[in-house]
Amino acid sequence: MTLLRRGRWITAISLLLLGGIYVRALVFTPEERLQGLAQKIYYVHVPSAWSAMLAMGMVGLASILFLFLKDPRYDRFASASAEVGTAFSLVMLTTGPLWARPIWGTWWTWDARLTLTLMMFFMFIGYQVLRGAVADPSLRARYAAVVGICGLVLLPFIHLSVYLFRTLHPMPIVLKPSAPSAPPAMVITLLSSFAVFTLLYVGFVIQRYAIGEHTHDA
Amino acid sequence: MTPDAIPQTGGYMIAAYIIAAVILLGYTVVLWRRGSARTKS
Repeated sequence: MTLLRRGRWITAISLLLLGGIYVRALVFTPEERLQGLAQKIYYVHVPSAWSAMLAMGMVGLASILFLFLKDPRYDRFASASAEVGTAFSLVMLTTGPLWARPIWGTWWTWDARLTLTLMMFFMFIGYQVLRGAVADPSLRARYAAVVGICGLVLLPFIHLSVYLFRTLHPMPIVLKPSAPSAPPAMVITLLSSFAVFTLLYVGFVIQRYAIGEHTHDA
Repeated sequence: MTPDAIPQTGGYMIAAYIIAAVILLGYTVVLWRRGSARTKS
């Protein structure tokens, strides 16, 4: 089985599982008393944010490996991960305001977490614009790697922003040292969604990498 | 708090789920078409 077909299969399975997550979240997961149904936006918003951050982390790590080893496969992988990360960032940045509007009373606020995640989205975009602007493949890969590493540096600030700054954004529910701050039924749905979004990331990246490998659109 | 006091925020939830599905399915289609164009060339 070719890499492209493998990626397609993983994506197809992930999308089926995502359908299952939708059913579980909408039908079988209890409604939160204070936020109402808007709280269920968490089950797509938080995992999409996770996948976007995973994508940026992979871009950064692959960029470091590229700069050390000069292997173009790392550059190609970083490029694939950046494009996939843009898609997940878009999900994160559209579902977040849809939760914020009924809960905070505003679509957007220039709070530290929101501003930093918007910066991450612009870094994904900038990374790809840069790749499109530099014709020389070797220079393109080196410049892009520097942007990718800057994105990696941004990640801890995004995760810790709710602790470092006074923000409106909720604290982590699962990714924290103490026990999850939600009932088990909600945590199971959230963790399942994390797993499915991670698998979806893998499927997308494999496909995108396979396409880049053929076209040399690294 | 009684169940009647639960905020009616279902519309926002439905919009978020639809938008997420559209973006992810849309990107799947884009990758599928690019992959198919690759195998034809």
